[in-house]
Amino acid sequence: MARPTPNRVTITVDGREIETDEGVMLIDAAKDGDVEIPFFCYDPKLGDPVGACRMCLVEIEGIPKLQTSCSTPVRDGMVVHTQTEQVKEAQNAVVEFLLVNHPLDCPVCDKGGECPLQDISMGWGPDRNRFVDNKRHFEKPVPLSPLIGIDRERCILCYRCVRFSQEVAEDSQLQLLERGDRTIVGTFDERPYIAPFTGNITELCPVGALTSYTYRFQARPWDIEQGGSVCTLCPSQCNVSFTVRDEQVKRVLDRENPEVDDGWLCDKGRYGFQAMYSPDRVLNPVLQSEGQAIPSEWGEAIELAVAGLAEAGSATAALVGDASNEEGFLVQLIARQVLGSADIDSRLAPGIDRSAAIELFAPDLAARTADIDTADLVLVVGTDPIQSAPSFDLRVRKAVRRHGTSLAVATDRPSALDGGATEVARYRPGAAAEWLEDLASRVEAGEEDGLAGLVREADDMVIVWGERIATGDRGAEALAALARLARASGLAESAESGLIAIPDIANGRGLMEVGCLPDAGPGLTAVDSGRDVEAIREGLEAGDIRALILFGVDPLRDLPDTEGWRRALEAADHVIAFSLSANDSTEFADVLFPLESHAEKDATVTHPDGRIQRVRPSARRPGEIRAGWLVLAEIAAELGLETGIDSAPSALAAVTEAVPFYAGLTDAEIGGRGVRWQDRPEAASFGGGGAEAPPPTANGSAPASSNGGGSRKAAEGSLVLGTYRDLWADSTTDLSPALNFLIPAQRLEISGADATRLGLSTGDEVSVRAGDRAVNATVAVRGSLDEGVCFMIEGTLAENANALVDGGPVPVEIGPPEIRVELVTAGADAAAEPGEAS
Amino acid sequence: MTEPVHETRILLRHADDPALATLEGYRSFGGYETLERAVREMDPETIVQELEDSGLRGRGGAGFSMGKKVSFLPHGDETKYICCNADESEPGAFKDRELMQRNPHQLIEGIAISAYAAGSGHAFIFIRGEYDRQADILDRAIEEAYGAGFLGRDICGSGFDLELTVHRGAGAYICGEETALLDALEGKRGNPRLKPPFPAVKGLYGKPTLINNVETLSNVSHIIANGPEWFRSFGTEQSPGTKVVSVSGGVTRPGNYEVELGVPVGGLIDDLAGGPLPGHSIKAFYPGGSSSPVLTPDCLDLPYSFEAMADAGSMLGSGSIIVADDNVSIPHMALRTARFYHHESCGKCTPCREGTNWTVKMLERVVRGEATPMDLDIITSVQDNIVGNCLCVLGDSMAMPVSAMVRKFRDEFEQVIAEAAAAALPLDVNGATNGGGNGNGSGQAPWERLPLQGRPLPGEVSSG
Amino acid sequence: MTALDPPHLPGDEFRSAGLPVDRANTVGRHPTEPPEEIPELSEVDCPAELQETIERSMARYPDRHSASIPALWAVQRLYGWCTPEGIRQAAAVMRVTPAYLESVASFYDLFFLEPAGRHQVRVCTNISCWMRGGDELLAQFCEATGCDPAGAAHGGTVSPDGEFFVSGFECLGACDLAPMASVDERYFGPLDDGDVDLIVAALRSGGDVPADKALAERPLPGGPDSTDNPAVLNAKGPNR
Ligand SMILES: Cc1cc2nc3c(=O)[nH]c(=O)nc-3n(C[C@H](O)[C@H](O)[C@H](O)COP(=O)(O)O)c2cc1C
Ligand code: SF4
Ligand code: FES
Repeated sequence: MARPTPNRVTITVDGREIETDEGVMLIDAAKDGDVEIPFFCYDPKLGDPVGACRMCLVEIEGIPKLQTSCSTPVRDGMVVHTQTEQVKEAQNAVVEFLLVNHPLDCPVCDKGGECPLQDISMGWGPDRNRFVDNKRHFEKPVPLSPLIGIDRERCILCYRCVRFSQEVAEDSQLQLLERGDRTIVGTFDERPYIAPFTGNITELCPVGALTSYTYRFQARPWDIEQGGSVCTLCPSQCNVSFTVRDEQVKRVLDRENPEVDDGWLCDKGRYGFQAMYSPDRVLNPVLQSEGQAIPSEWGEAIELAVAGLAEAGSATAALVGDASNEEGFLVQLIARQVLGSADIDSRLAPGIDRSAAIELFAPDLAARTADIDTADLVLVVGTDPIQSAPSFDLRVRKAVRRHGTSLAVATDRPSALDGGATEVARYRPGAAAEWLEDLASRVEAGEEDGLAGLVREADDMVIVWGERIATGDRGAEALAALARLARASGLAESAESGLIAIPDIANGRGLMEVGCLPDAGPGLTAVDSGRDVEAIREGLEAGDIRALILFGVDPLRDLPDTEGWRRALEAADHVIAFSLSANDSTEFADVLFPLESHAEKDATVTHPDGRIQRVRPSARRPGEIRAGWLVLAEIAAELGLETGIDSAPSALAAVTEAVPFYAGLTDAEIGGRGVRWQDRPEAASFGGGGAEAPPPTANGSAPASSNGGGSRKAAEGSLVLGTYRDLWADSTTDLSPALNFLIPAQRLEISGADATRLGLSTGDEVSVRAGDRAVNATVAVRGSLDEGVCFMIEGTLAENANALVDGGPVPVEIGPPEIRVELVTAGADAAAEPGEAS
Repeated sequence: MTEPVHETRILLRHADDPALATLEGYRSFGGYETLERAVREMDPETIVQELEDSGLRGRGGAGFSMGKKVSFLPHGDETKYICCNADESEPGAFKDRELMQRNPHQLIEGIAISAYAAGSGHAFIFIRGEYDRQADILDRAIEEAYGAGFLGRDICGSGFDLELTVHRGAGAYICGEETALLDALEGKRGNPRLKPPFPAVKGLYGKPTLINNVETLSNVSHIIANGPEWFRSFGTEQSPGTKVVSVSGGVTRPGNYEVELGVPVGGLIDDLAGGPLPGHSIKAFYPGGSSSPVLTPDCLDLPYSFEAMADAGSMLGSGSIIVADDNVSIPHMALRTARFYHHESCGKCTPCREGTNWTVKMLERVVRGEATPMDLDIITSVQDNIVGNCLCVLGDSMAMPVSAMVRKFRDEFEQVIAEAAAAALPLDVNGATNGGGNGNGSGQAPWERLPLQGRPLPGEVSSG
Repeated sequence: MTALDPPHLPGDEFRSAGLPVDRANTVGRHPTEPPEEIPELSEVDCPAELQETIERSMARYPDRHSASIPALWAVQRLYGWCTPEGIRQAAAVMRVTPAYLESVASFYDLFFLEPAGRHQVRVCTNISCWMRGGDELLAQFCEATGCDPAGAAHGGTVSPDGEFFVSGFECLGACDLAPMASVDERYFGPLDDGDVDLIVAALRSGGDVPADKALAERPLPGGPDSTDNPAVLNAKGPNR
C-alpha cells in the first residue's frame, strides 16, 4: 500500500482555525496551531494512545464530558476549548493527583530543570498542595539494570517505559507489577532489564524515575549544551544529540529523525560514548621504535609516515573502515593518485564489487528507510538487524505491528525477527545464492503460492539485505540472483519499494561510493582493478605489498583469518595506522595516528539508504588529536599532491566534485536531517562514470581464493561453521565501562540434535577446530538451529571466531578444550574423537 | 404501601428445586425449547427486534437497552463475540451467583439465543475467580448442553454453531468493567480501554463484541418465548420486567428477591427482607450496590426502578440494596466504601488511582479524629475532581457515594471527628468505640493502624 | 587526557536489597536465551501434565495469550503458588516472557506470588459483612489459626505452621451470608465463634468443613414460590 494522503480538515481550537490532516490526534493538531495541551502518557511512537494520565483533557463542543485530546482524532469543523473553567479545573485536579505520591525532591533529582512534570505543574497545576498524608516510599534508587536505576517514588505511572518494552522493542521484559496505586514498574523475579534498547526508557520517562547510571549527578540543565550529530557505531547511523559539559560528552540522546531512526537509540549508541574517554584512546601520534610505543609530535610522525609511503610507492595498500566519506576519499586519493596503487578495500571480505554496486544501488531500486513502515512485504535476507543495524530491527517490528506488513526472513542463523515473520527460511551458511536463485525463479515464473506469491501480491516491497551474502564462493551469484529478484518483483517500478543494503561497517555504503573499492573509484567509476582485502593480505605475506595504510581497521579483530593477518602485518615494511584506540593491530604500526570520534568529527557519512548525513563536532578533541581530513591532506601534500583542502567544507567539496551523484552537495543542503542523493537531480549521473567494469580478475574481486583453514571438505560428523558479528563484539563495548557487562564471551551455538550426538549440553566448554586452527567456546544449544550447522561470534575480544574462518563458512570439529593445547604436540590424532566432550 | 410487596419469580422460578441445575430438570420445565424454536424458525433480525421491543435494560449496572446493544453490532459474516459478564464483584451484589448456581442452563440458553441473534460463533462467560463452585456448575452444565446438541456444531440441526467457554477470573473487581473484562479475557492485566472504540465495534481480539450481564442474558429466553408484550406486562414503562434484588446489611432476612421493577423500596426491605434488625431503624441505604449514592429513609417510598432511583440522585445499578441501620457510623461506612475502590482501582488513570488513595487517607484521619471540618471540604472537592475525569467509571463509583455521604451526613462526620479527637484514641479506624460502632459492639482492631494495604512491595519502605 | 571518572558506574555495586544479582545477565549474557527472552521449553523442565493443561487452555481461545490466567491457575494448583520456576515453565509453553505472566499474576488478588498456606480462608470485610461482624470473624480466624492479624488484614498471611492462609477480603459476592468466609474456595456463612473453631479443627484433622453453614445448602430466603400472577403461571419458555 502506498502511503495514504489524508484529507485536510479545519478545526477551531480556542478560537483559532487550524488546518490539519484528517485523523490526526487533536493534541497534535492543536500543537500545529500553537496551542499547547499538556500531556504525560501520550507518545505516538509508542502505539495507540492509552488515555491513562488524563492530563490532556479538553472540552469539545457537543460532547458533555471532557475528552482526552491524545485519543480524539480531529473531525472537520470540530470546535475545541482548552482554556475553559472546566478544563482548568480538570488540569489542576490531575496535576494535584499526580503530586499526591510524587516526592518533591526536585533539588536532588537529575530530571530537575528538564522535567515535564515540573513544567506542567508550573504551567497547568494548582499553586498549592492540599495533600498532607504520607506518600509512598521506596528505596531510592534501585538498579533496574547495570545501566539504569529506578526511583519508584518518582514514578507517575504513565506506562511509557513498559509500553516501549512491549510495543516497540517487543522484549516484554519490563512490566507493570501489582495493581492500583501499588503498581510498580519492574521485571520478572526482580531480574535486571537487559535488552538492546533499554536506554530509551530513560528518555521516555517524564520524571526522574528512570535515570542512566552514566549520567546521574553529572550535570544540571544549565551546565550543559546539546550538540547534534550522527552515531557512527553501526550502519543505522541514528541521529543523536550529545549532552556536553565542559566540552566532554556526558550523555547521548536521540535526535529523532523519522527518516532514519524513528527517535530510538540502541544502548551501544547511547552508552558507548564512554569509549571516547577510555584510557586506551589514542591521543597523539605514536611511533614504534624497537618494540616501544613512543608518543610523538605530529610533524615527526607525518614525516615518518610519508617517508615510508614514498619508499613503498605503488607497493602500498590501504584498508579503510571507521572513516567518513571525506577520509575514505582522501585515503584512496593518496593511494591511487599519489602512490599509484589500486589496492584499496573497505570490505571485510571480497564481496560486492563495482558492477554489482552499480546494479543494486541504482536509484530506481533504492528504498528509503521509512518505506519499511508502509510496505506490504519486507524481506530480510542475510542479516539480523538486531546485531548488524539495530534500528532496522525496530523499524521492521513497527511495520509488522502497526501496519500489518508481512515479513519474510531468510538467514543462515535464526534471527530476532523470526517471531513476527510470516515466512522464515534458513539456508546453510554461505548458501544465500541457492535460496535467492530459487525465489527469483519462482517469482519470474509467476508462482502464486508461498513467498513468491506474497512477493507478487505486494505492491510495495522492501528488501533489507546484508552485504555479507556477497562473500564466499557463490557470493557473486547471490548478488546476481538478488538483482534478478529485484527486477522480477518490479521494485524499480514502485517509488516506495526497493532495496536497502546493510553493510558490515558503519559507513560501508559511503566508502564504496567515494572510491574505497579495489575496482571502483569515487562515484563508482571504473578504474584499473587493484587487489581486494584478501589479496592484499596475501600480497603482504608474499612481499609484493610493502606498506599498509590501516584507516580505522583492526585486521586482527575484524577480518577473517587472524593468523594470516598476523603474518601479513609482520611481513609489512611500513604500517601506517589510524585508530581511535590502541588494539592488537596498532601494535604493528610504525606510525599510529589518532582518530576523531563521532562527537568530534566534522564530516559526512552515507546511510545505507543513500542519505548523506553530517557528523558535527560537539565536544573537544581530547589530547593532540587532529581532524582526519587535515592529517590526510597534509600527508598528500608532503607526498606532492596539493589537494587544496584546508577545511571540512573544502574536504566535502573535494568529495562532491569527484562523486558525480554527490555533485554540488553542501553542508547547508545536508542540514540536520541529511539528504538522500537519490532524491537530487544529480542522481541521474549514477553508474554513468567511465567504461564498464573490467571482468573480475584473479587479483580483483574474484571469489575467495585461499583456503588457509585446510580442507573445505567436511569430515564425517563435522559441522559447518557460520559466523556473525554480535552487536556487542567491538571495542566500543570493551572500552565503555558501563557496557562491559555485555562483552560477549565466545559461544558455540549448535542444534539440539548435534548436541545430543556430540554429548554436549549448554554451558559445556569446548574447543572448535577448523584444520589446525582452534578456538575455545561455551556451548549454547538452540532449539531453532538446523542440524549440521553451528555459529560463533566474530570480533570477540578473546577467542575470536575470525581465527577459524578465512572468508566463508568452514567445516569444524568440536572437542574438549584441552585438546587445543595438545594439538600443538600431538598433531591431528588428538582431533579424532569429537564426541568425548562432556 | 397498602399491599405488601411480594416476589414475582420468573428467573428464580423453581429455583429451590435442585434438579433445575441439571439438563434433565431444566428441560422438564420447558428448558431449551425456546432455543430450538429460535434457531430453527426465527431469523436473527426478529429476535433482535423482539429484544429491543421488550425494553429489557442491562442488569449489570448501566441499564442500557439490551436489544439496542445487539443491534449496534455490524451485520454480516465477520467474526463477532459474545461475553457474559459474570464478574459480579460490586459490594452488595450477589444475584448472578444465585442465578448461575441454581439455573445455569437458563443462562446458557439465553447466551445461545443472543449469539444466534448477534451472529456470533463463540461466546465466553467471564466469571469471577472466587465463584469457583458456580464455575464448576457452569462447566458441568455446558458439558451437558454440548452433549445434548444445544452447544457446539449444528445446534438443533439448524446449522448454527456456537462455542461457549468459561473463563475464570482471578480476583479483580475492575474486570467487571466491560473493556477491562475484554483485556482480562485476552490474557492481559484487566485494565479498562479507552472508549471509543466501543466493544460493539472493536472488542475482544479487536472484533465486534456484545457484553451483557448474567441476569440480562437469563431474561432472553423468557422474552423470546413469550414476546415483548408479555415482558412489558411486568415492571414499569421505562423499567420493564422483573429484577433479582440482593438485599443485605442491616436487615432480618438478607438474600435475593425477584420482584417486578417499580415496587416500593421500603416494601421490598420490610415485607421481603424482614425489615431492619429488631430494635433498629434504617438510617441510609445504597439502592444499587456500593457505587450508588446513598439515600436516606425519606426515599423509601420511591418505586424501585431505573428512573425513580436516577431522579432521586442515585441509581439502580446492579440492583443491590445495602441497608445501614442506626447503629452504623456513616463516616466509617464511607471509609469501607472508599477502601474497596482504592483496593480495586486498576491504577491506569491518575484521578482514580491517586484520588481513591487520597480519599482513604483523609477518611482514616476523619475517623481517627485527626481531621478538621475543612478536610471534609477537601474530601468533597477531591470527589468532584475525580468525577468525570477518569478513564472508566470506577473512580466515579467511589466518588459519588462518598461525596453523597459527606454531604448528607456532614454533622455526623463532624461529630465523629470531634469525639475521636476527644477520646484521644487516635488510631482506631474501625468505628468500634466512639459512639459510631458497626452494630456489633466490636472491639478495637489494632492491626488497622497499619497504613499499608498489602504485603510490602520489593524495596518498599514503610511510611512512618 | 581525561579518563572517565567512574563514580557512578555500576558493576560490582550492582547489588541491592531486593534485586539479586543474576550472574548470567550481569557478568556475561546468558548463553542460551534468545533475544525475546522467552525461555526454551528444554530449559525449564516443565512437568508433562502442566504443559498439557496449558496447551489445552491455549487451544480453547482464538489467541494463545488468553490462556495466561488459566495457565497461572494451573501453576498455582500444581505448586501451591505461582513459583518463579512455575511461571517460567508456563511462559515457555505459552511462548511469552515470564515477566508478562508475573505482571498478569500480580494484578489479580487470587494469585499467590509467595508461598501460601495449605488451606485458604478469605473473610469478607466489606460493607455488608463489616456491618454484621466481618472484622470480628477475621480476628477469630486469626486466633484459631495463629495468623498475625495485621498481616491478615493487609493482603493475607500464612500461619506459622504453614497450614493456613488467612486474609481479609473484599466483597466475595455473598452478603446474604454475612459474616461469611470462603474456605478453600467454598462459601460458608453466617459464621460465629463456634463455627470458626469447628472449621479450623476440621481442616486441621483433614476432614470436611461441616456443611450446615455452606452456601450450597441455603434455600431461597423468600421461601417457596407463591406467585399467583397468571402471566407467570401461564408463561411459556423455561421454568414453567
Ligand atoms: C468498575 C465497574 C465494574 C463493573 N462490574 C460489573 C459486574 O461485575 N458485572 C456486570 O454485569 N457488570 C459490571 N459492570 C458493568 C459493565 O461495564 C457493563 O456495563 C455490563 O456488563 C453490561 O451488561 P448489561 O448491559 O447487561 O448490564 C461494571 C462496570 C464498572 C465500571
Ligand atoms: S477509573 Fe480507576 S479503574 Fe477505571 S481506568 Fe481509571 S484507574 Fe482504572
Ligand atoms: S496524554 Fe492523554 S491521557 Fe495521557
